[in-house]
Amino acid sequence: MTGPVSSGIDQIGLQPGSHVCAFYRGDSDRNRLLTGYLGAGLAAGDKCICIVDSADTAERLGTLPGACGEPGPFGGQLDIHLPESTYLAGGEFTAADMLTFWTEAMVKAEIEGYSFCRLVGEMTWALRDAPGVGHLIGYESELNRVTASSPVVVLCLYDLDRFGGEVVVNVVKTHPQVLIQGILVENPYYVGPDDFLPPVRA
Amino acid sequence: MTAEQTIPRSAPHQQAAGAQQAADAQQAAENLRERLSEFRALLVILLLMTESASEDQILELAAASAPGLGSARIEGYGLSDGQWRATGPAAGPAAGPIGVSTSDITRQLTALGQGSGQVDLPGRRWAWAYPLCSVGGLIGHLVASSQLEPSAEQRFLLQVIAQQTGVAVSNARLHARERATAAELAATNATLAQTVTSLRRSMDIHDRLTQVAVSGEGQPGIAKALHELTGMPVAIEDRYGNLTAWAGPGRPDPYPKESFAKREHLLRRLMRARKPIQDGERLVLLASPRPELLGIVALIDPDRAADTADLVALEHGATVLSMELARLRGIADTELRLRCDLVHDLLGGTDDESALARAEALDYDLRRPHRVVVVEGKGRARAHDALLSAVRRALRTARQDGLCEIWSGNVAIVTAGQANWEQLRRAMGSDLGSQCRIGVGSLRARPSELPRSLREAGLALRLQKTLLPGTSACEYPKLGIFRMLASIPDLTDVEAFVREWLGSLIDYDTRRKAELVHTLTQYLEHGGNYDATAAELSVHKSTLKYRLQRIRDLTGLELNDPDVHFNLQLATRAWGTLQALRDES
Repeated sequence: MTGPVSSGIDQIGLQPGSHVCAFYRGDSDRNRLLTGYLGAGLAAGDKCICIVDSADTAERLGTLPGACGEPGPFGGQLDIHLPESTYLAGGEFTAADMLTFWTEAMVKAEIEGYSFCRLVGEMTWALRDAPGVGHLIGYESELNRVTASSPVVVLCLYDLDRFGGEVVVNVVKTHPQVLIQGILVENPYYVGPDDFLPPVRA
Repeated sequence: MTAEQTIPRSAPHQQAAGAQQAADAQQAAENLRERLSEFRALLVILLLMTESASEDQILELAAASAPGLGSARIEGYGLSDGQWRATGPAAGPAAGPIGVSTSDITRQLTALGQGSGQVDLPGRRWAWAYPLCSVGGLIGHLVASSQLEPSAEQRFLLQVIAQQTGVAVSNARLHARERATAAELAATNATLAQTVTSLRRSMDIHDRLTQVAVSGEGQPGIAKALHELTGMPVAIEDRYGNLTAWAGPGRPDPYPKESFAKREHLLRRLMRARKPIQDGERLVLLASPRPELLGIVALIDPDRAADTADLVALEHGATVLSMELARLRGIADTELRLRCDLVHDLLGGTDDESALARAEALDYDLRRPHRVVVVEGKGRARAHDALLSAVRRALRTARQDGLCEIWSGNVAIVTAGQANWEQLRRAMGSDLGSQCRIGVGSLRARPSELPRSLREAGLALRLQKTLLPGTSACEYPKLGIFRMLASIPDLTDVEAFVREWLGSLIDYDTRRKAELVHTLTQYLEHGGNYDATAAELSVHKSTLKYRLQRIRDLTGLELNDPDVHFNLQLATRAWGTLQALRDES
């Protein structure tokens, strides 16, 4: 697949390999993004892997209509995880472990017969007081390397009501595409993983 | 010649210079790339500022984004109203920049006017204030600081942030004002809508009850309208607590009636309050068009759920009830007056056509033969109103229709009935607690003949008092010889006959103020029975015997002689008739 795929959000198309940072405000806006993005993936027969911050959100996503138009179960098409088993597995965040998680997930999807993956992560976990969360921006930068040449699109969800301006600036600087207010802002000058230096924290 | 031959090899120092140039070019490219990336990030921040409606959120976002765009940080904002708003952990209106008081930084910023410039912050190598400008003017200043002198590009970014922060805050304030105005307008609209609804309901109430008032639906109509307007059961009662109308469910059967004392207490409370009062489960209001005319209207409201509109409806309802009570009383008064006038005209004499028309207007059938009955009360019964009321009650009880009025100190009844007059007399006496007499005239076919019936009734009444024993009803048609004597046009011979037989007794009575003629009359009417005569005259038998002896002495007549007895009885009856006729004239 080389052409753009439907993001399911505001009629925006995404190139395979896209790593998009999406900003939203509040739960209803988040649910709109998740529903559109995963709904489009399920309808297209993509492998959908998502990490959400609460069991409630996970439960709600379980009612999305699948490829045949019927609500789940999806027979393995949709994997839903919580931060405790992914980003914060073992009680701390490790960028390398997380990148490995995504890589293995994509390989597994390919083995299962999926030709395209749709990944999404709700990033609110980074606000928790857990070891390693300071490496978030570096991880985001490295994720570009994993996704760049793969049949995959990745959506990172940031709640503007909870993340401050500095995170926004750094996230924009490390993401080639930013989705905000229904606009996909391209950043051809994003700081790639080879150039990224973690910000000096006070 | 090959290329290698045409291009001479560079010297080592030239190669080193080339490598340095290439490295510089790459560094410049990376710097440029980083600046461009920062611009992208700044654009996103500006987008977020634009969409934010909260001034605090905008200032916080701008301050938080600065570290991501270079080495500088934003210390806070000095706003044009004199406030200092710090950023970061010590954020808040009261917190000033580190090492400087709020008044000091405010003074420095005021000195800058609408421009930018350096400010002194202890411990900061570089500190600069950028104006927060908007179309409406200066909002304040953004104060940034750094331990290193920021590059020109970084300073430009800070200037852009300050500029856009000013615009965004200005927009947010405008938006907030618009929202406040909109909220105020919405509140005003809501109040207006409420007022309109309230007025509309008031108009509905007014229209509905006015319709009831003009349509003559009466008290049931008022109760029904009030029930429809309030949704509550409605009761209307007279001053004594009798139910006159009910609308809605749950009508008590039988309708409860409170004691006289309790009722009077409630009426006094209502008169004092002049507004609806709670009486148990009822909301009650007095309707009193005249002091003596009272009624009450009540909403049955056990949950005390009546609102202002219900009270308005109740008050309107009471007003309409007052009008209705006044109307009914007016009709009753008019009818009473018309009846009174008609009775007086019938007794005094009137033409048939007029009498019949007026009777018809009163819904009374005067085309039947009528007679006049005169009732005279004694003792307490002489109070005219009481006697008139007793007569009306007695007629109602006897199911007799008739027109009653006071006439010459007695009560005259114009009636078509064939009552048992003695029974009627006793009923009146029992009602009044004292004696009364009745004189009954004969039936007359036409209204214009009723004065004759009145005369007969009066004559019967007087003869009954003068000649007849007891107080029983006296019917003129049954008076026999009296009726015949009374009908003689020329009474000269009758008077001569009376004088011939009773002249000495009449003269004696006149001289001595005695009652010999009356004594003789009663003696003869009682068939010569001493006991009955004495009882009728209320005298002792020996007194009676003495009087009879005086009569024998004065007249020289033997009372036991049948011929004498007949002539004396005729003479006494003629005397009584003449007396009655004299009284009449």
